[in-house]
Amino acid sequence: MINKDTLDKILSRVEKPARYIGNEINSYKKNTKEVKVRFAFAFPDIYEVGMSHLGLHILYNLLNKEEDVFCERVFAPWIDMEHELRKHNIPLYALESKDPINKFDFVGFTLQYEMSYTNILNMLDLGHIPLLSKDRKEEDPFIIAGGPCAYNPEPLADIIDFFVIGESEELILEIIEAYKKWKENNRTREEFLEDVSQIKGVYVPKFYEVTYNQDGTIKEFTPKAQRYPSVIKKRIIKKLDEVYFPDRVIVPYIETVHDRVMLEIFRGCTRGCRFCQAGMIYRPVRERSVDKLLDHAQKLVEITGHEEISLSSLSTSDYSKLEELVKSLINKFKDKKIGLSLPSLRLDSFSLDIIQEIQKVRKTGLTFAPEAGSQRLRDIINKGINEEDLINSVRDAFYLGWSTVKLYFMIGLPYENYDDILGIKDLAYKVKDTYFGLPKDKRKGNLKVTVSTSCFVPKPFTPFQWFGQDTIETFKEKQKYLGSNIKDKKITYNFHDPELSFLEAVFARGDRKLSKVLIRAWQKGCKFDGWADYFNYEKWMETFREAGIDPSFYANRHREYNEILPWDFIDVGVSKKYLINENEKAKNGILTRDCRKGCTGCGINISFTGGVC
Amino acid sequence: MSTIRVKFSKKDEMKYISHLDLMRLFQRAFRRAGIPVRYSQGFNPHPKFSLATALPIGVTSDGEYMDVELENDIDKDEFIKRLNDVLPRGVRILSSKYIKTGKSLMSLIEWSDYVIEFCTTDGISKEDMENCIREILKKDEIYIKKVKIKNKKETIKEVDIRSSIKNLNLLVVEDKRIIIRTTLKSGSKGNLKPKYIIDIINKTGNIEIVDDSIKIHRLELYSQKNGNLVSPLNCE
Ligand code: SF4
Repeated sequence: MINKDTLDKILSRVEKPARYIGNEINSYKKNTKEVKVRFAFAFPDIYEVGMSHLGLHILYNLLNKEEDVFCERVFAPWIDMEHELRKHNIPLYALESKDPINKFDFVGFTLQYEMSYTNILNMLDLGHIPLLSKDRKEEDPFIIAGGPCAYNPEPLADIIDFFVIGESEELILEIIEAYKKWKENNRTREEFLEDVSQIKGVYVPKFYEVTYNQDGTIKEFTPKAQRYPSVIKKRIIKKLDEVYFPDRVIVPYIETVHDRVMLEIFRGCTRGCRFCQAGMIYRPVRERSVDKLLDHAQKLVEITGHEEISLSSLSTSDYSKLEELVKSLINKFKDKKIGLSLPSLRLDSFSLDIIQEIQKVRKTGLTFAPEAGSQRLRDIINKGINEEDLINSVRDAFYLGWSTVKLYFMIGLPYENYDDILGIKDLAYKVKDTYFGLPKDKRKGNLKVTVSTSCFVPKPFTPFQWFGQDTIETFKEKQKYLGSNIKDKKITYNFHDPELSFLEAVFARGDRKLSKVLIRAWQKGCKFDGWADYFNYEKWMETFREAGIDPSFYANRHREYNEILPWDFIDVGVSKKYLINENEKAKNGILTRDCRKGCTGCGINISFTGGVC
Repeated sequence: MSTIRVKFSKKDEMKYISHLDLMRLFQRAFRRAGIPVRYSQGFNPHPKFSLATALPIGVTSDGEYMDVELENDIDKDEFIKRLNDVLPRGVRILSSKYIKTGKSLMSLIEWSDYVIEFCTTDGISKEDMENCIREILKKDEIYIKKVKIKNKKETIKEVDIRSSIKNLNLLVVEDKRIIIRTTLKSGSKGNLKPKYIIDIINKTGNIEIVDDSIKIHRLELYSQKNGNLVSPLNCE
């Protein structure tokens, strides 16, 4: 354990010291000498962000349910805390035992966002763990990683010892079992990697070789020996009702991003929006039953004392029994003054009834995500929404007393032109006209429309994975064009930083050459890149120049269908043929139906069973 | 409807929890304990409980108070047990008492008793330290600079805080370590933060104090009754 007195002194000097103390209600305390496996769940961002992540709570409790496993948490320390840790030479420690993370058997990172990669390096360094997998010694922990960004693990290939691809509730326990056996037999680090390489869903980068063509594209990606799988198949949980669901979750002391009970109602999405990675990689759709959910909600409210429940899933309104669920939850918890929030409702099946029910407890603004400004472009991305739907929903909402509307769009979508961008403005103006079209006595509040545009980032395993991202200059031009066209005091225009989206695109579709760029950038001081105050684009560009790597090769270049993509060896169940077909349909603006209305042939029902397909 | 007045402690790492976080912590603890707290009416119903004063981050305490309005009476020992079962290590309910609702708890508080520990850079004799304290208590006026933020503007005001210091005693002098006990004005009618006492000692005795070494612990909060200090539990 690190020195308590020193820690005490440090904590009185940093901002929000409660981030670093642990001891929260429902956190685990175990005797570290009595357990066989020590696992540090590492979240490469600050406490408030990490504690809002449902996956952390699931895995933390799942692992701690095992008597001989102790799972603890570690988050990226904020700049002031890092400074103190370094000054006093205190290694990064896990919250529960306050032991340095290099004393653990595993340090497991969750990869939620490309721009947190430098934080991984920073945490390893603060934990006195070698940054490169090849430099780690027998006594060092195994550094593993999972989560959505692990679907293209290659940029971290030199850093992470092995990756877990897909949903890991079952997989992680298999790894723990393998570890216990391995430890008993006192074998080498290398041998453990050999063992886990045989577990389905595990990817050990060092057992694979990549060769390149002259133009920098991949020539071949091959296992170094026959015993390593040439395709890594993602893991999924077949029956969601039966899989472990935590009946206790940690209650933070400080306000976190989602400071409430999170109820995961289903996994996957059937809509098939062509830009959406989550919609492709989390297939098939698997729902939890209303009964189970009510049961979980009850238990979680009792054990946490939280005053709010939020339903979590992609496209929440697609849950087949949403009305039943929401009504039951409201009935059950109304008297206890417990609120309910639904984060992602789609506007086509937008049910104001439901929202209205909920608003009896708390009132929030309304958000819609039409994603694109024109019908042509919405068809291209397969966002099956039309203007009428939006306007009708908005009108209803205004009638019911709402006056704050947020509209989310992307710019730089494939095949976009300036008319599509103008469409964003038109839509916002139509929303405004709808409000003022209402009889005066029906208008409540003061209209405020917020238009936000993010910059499109092409992601692996989507039909747009071959598409070259707009350059930063083009993004800026488009933002300026839209901004200069929106001239209304009621409408506010916000936009994302294209430099950041550019780097996101580089790492989303990068290959293993990027590991060295990451390390160099971190050495130059890059960290918390997702935080506007700390993101330093110049430093990144300098790093790329020094490394002799052209970032636009990854971000802006169009790929041909026959190019070997860095993540091609991963099987997410959705076939490449389907993705190509979808991309071709996009070119002509042909829609693909929601696969709940009939199979669209993505392939998930062939390679994976279970779910609605 | 009844109101129960509760005394509790806040120690160990819980000293890093802010006042607002502590409010949230209790709110959730009441739910977990299944204690029937009354809620405010309106859009955002809030459980009705109030804390006596805000304890600064970093300060530990054995004498914090809150009033809780209950929907229906529960046995006070039962109340303590149920809450303590669900509270994190570091926060403990020490005692409680049903009170007739009258003055708000906040307005009752007038004094705080603190134990303050610190180290001096060079070490100091018992005599010198005693002299320093005597000198402080002898003064009719003690001016300190208080920073006030009003309308986002920072103003520094010189204020006389002599009347805010009731007691100041030396408990321990041990090489470089010094422990004092002091009773300072607290609450809505005037509040002197214990860290000012350190500044005054530093100034009066010309004593160099190690910044890192200061530990502040609140012993008790007091109300005043017929000129005597009484615990908020006994002021009716
Ligand atoms: S509705 Fe579209 S954007 Fe939303 S999760 Fe499903 S596929 Fe993705």
